[in-house]
Amino acid sequence: MNESTPAESNRNDALPLERESPEAPVTGKVRLEAAWGSTEGDEDLTVNQKPKTENEGHVFEQQYKPWNGQLNPRWMRNWSILRHHLLGIFKKGHRPWGVPIRLYLLVVFVASLTDVGMTLISGLIGDSGFHSVWGVSRDNLYAHVLGFLPRNMLYYPVVAALLVGGVISEDRQHGTSAMYFSRPISRFDYVSMKFLSVALIQALIIHVTLGLYYLAEIITMGRGWAWIIDTFPMFLATVVSGFLLIFTYTSIGLSLSSVSKGKFFPGIALLSIILGTKVLAFIVSNLFDREILYLISPYDCLAHVGQAIIGTQPTYDQYSWTWSLASLAAMNALALFVLSTRVSSMEVTRE
Amino acid sequence: MDDDLIIKTSNLTKSYGPHVALRNLNISVPKGATGLLGPNGAGKSTFLKTILGLIQATEGEGYVMGLDIRTQGDAIRSRIGYMPEYDSLNPDMEAIHQVRYSGELLGMNPTIALARAHETLQYVGLGEQRYRNIGSYSTGMKQATKLACALIHDPELIIADEPSNGLDITARDYMIQTLTNTVKNGNRSVLMASHLMDDVERVCDNFILLHKGKLAAQGRIEDLKGFDREIEIHVWGGASRLVEAMTKVGLKVRREGRVMRILHEQEDTTSLILACAAEVGAQVRRMHEYEASLEDLFLSIMENLGYEVKSSEDLLASPIQARKVDAPESMGGGSA
Repeated sequence: MNESTPAESNRNDALPLERESPEAPVTGKVRLEAAWGSTEGDEDLTVNQKPKTENEGHVFEQQYKPWNGQLNPRWMRNWSILRHHLLGIFKKGHRPWGVPIRLYLLVVFVASLTDVGMTLISGLIGDSGFHSVWGVSRDNLYAHVLGFLPRNMLYYPVVAALLVGGVISEDRQHGTSAMYFSRPISRFDYVSMKFLSVALIQALIIHVTLGLYYLAEIITMGRGWAWIIDTFPMFLATVVSGFLLIFTYTSIGLSLSSVSKGKFFPGIALLSIILGTKVLAFIVSNLFDREILYLISPYDCLAHVGQAIIGTQPTYDQYSWTWSLASLAAMNALALFVLSTRVSSMEVTRE
Repeated sequence: MDDDLIIKTSNLTKSYGPHVALRNLNISVPKGATGLLGPNGAGKSTFLKTILGLIQATEGEGYVMGLDIRTQGDAIRSRIGYMPEYDSLNPDMEAIHQVRYSGELLGMNPTIALARAHETLQYVGLGEQRYRNIGSYSTGMKQATKLACALIHDPELIIADEPSNGLDITARDYMIQTLTNTVKNGNRSVLMASHLMDDVERVCDNFILLHKGKLAAQGRIEDLKGFDREIEIHVWGGASRLVEAMTKVGLKVRREGRVMRILHEQEDTTSLILACAAEVGAQVRRMHEYEASLEDLFLSIMENLGYEVKSSEDLLASPIQARKVDAPESMGGGSA
């Protein structure tokens, strides 16, 4: 009876894979031994020499683990949508906004701080002429939010276009709408949180830089309460104008996003609407001396209303600003109607 | 509502204008695994949307886990886990964060959702792959991620819409095993809509069959399969004579060339077949009991019995119709 001790067995296990095994690789050493018998020749050929090929590792065992936690109410679900979109701008693990978008937001944020920087410089050098150009005034507050070049040509509409582009359309494209609507999320909550998150990111750029601008004036010029009380109404009017601008761009942009399955069309279409109508109104105004077409331009209407409530010199003087306000209301109503209709039709089972 | 039932509907009807998508559905789904079967356009998706409370039923009523589908849709969707048929994942997100977010959308605390996302991804077999972007996943891994999203809050009922759609054999087996494990060891219920009868057969004990918005059949799969057990023989020489002889002694025969299936409804069926073969001089070269697959039954019900049959008991109660399931008309089969 040929019994081997555990120690021998282990030693045999440790022997290299040699000619006894058909799976042995034909290496130089194997050939050498076959030809010349380089080993001693005392191997016990009766022992089945097997290499130790098994890797010790974790054996996966599928085990269902129950969870007994409590689900939080509606506000927490809505907060999760808002948080998902907002934090995605800053870090991984949330909505992936894409590096170009995040870079552009950073560039616009920094560029929007131009008047803040200039105010600080004017305060430092004490040049009143320089300060009158860059310091807080009705015209400069208006320009911070509603100035056409560069802010409403290169900054804010592009930011809006980049943000709204995929917010709803990608849910259609990837079918992620099913993930929302198969959970206790209503269509209203879904669209309002998306709207709010996009609007908040824009507000982060427009309103935060506006606040910093006002603060820079107070700090560098040593403004007191009298100045603050005097200028605060026009600052508030600028804030309201900013909200109006964000709301309008977002509602038009999201409505375009809701009718699309990609992010390119909504972005380009939003820019075309904002800039195209502005250019058209400008051409018609110059050629025919008629400003009526500005009523189809969201930017012109916003600028007109902004001029009226901030109190700057109006540049649209043929018609009352209430026409512009009515036009803005109509544009937003139409955009929100399209948005709500399209979101209502989003499917859970199939898109 | 009966405690053992997880879904119950009474005269549930859903119309889109003149088009009736669901017609008077009286469905009782017990706890455990249930297959929802039906061809395209049968009303499966409408049924799922209705019981999720996403669309309002036109008539009738329904309860899911005791909750009214008309008024408690939010509560129902909190307690079920829905795995959609189509892509429902963001390809630019890592699976762990996608699953975590799906938990947050249910109201889970973000930290808890993240911990639970790790567990569920481990459970569905993506433990080592959870930090990869979903866009780089195979179809099987995406399906597993969708299942993890559905399981994150440990729902009482998982609604899986075509869970094994587009998967290769290994991934399909794993998906089926995971669903089975969830039912058997996790003690959860699964409502599985699928057109792959094999998968339904492997996971589910019960089935619901819809056709053109009507309930075609429901009951236990075992019961359904038991009703038309047959004996299959392969005959050489004198096959036509053998058919005549067997028919003469009262056996119900279906023939496709040399292959014949004889309804096995009495103890001595085999003896009778062999006696007939000996009498007419035909060789029976192969003989075995033939158990219809769910797919055979599905097709035969769809084609012949249609939606007049309400349950497997009804099928059992009408054996003559059942026997005719797919026999050619020349042999007395055809429409029931």
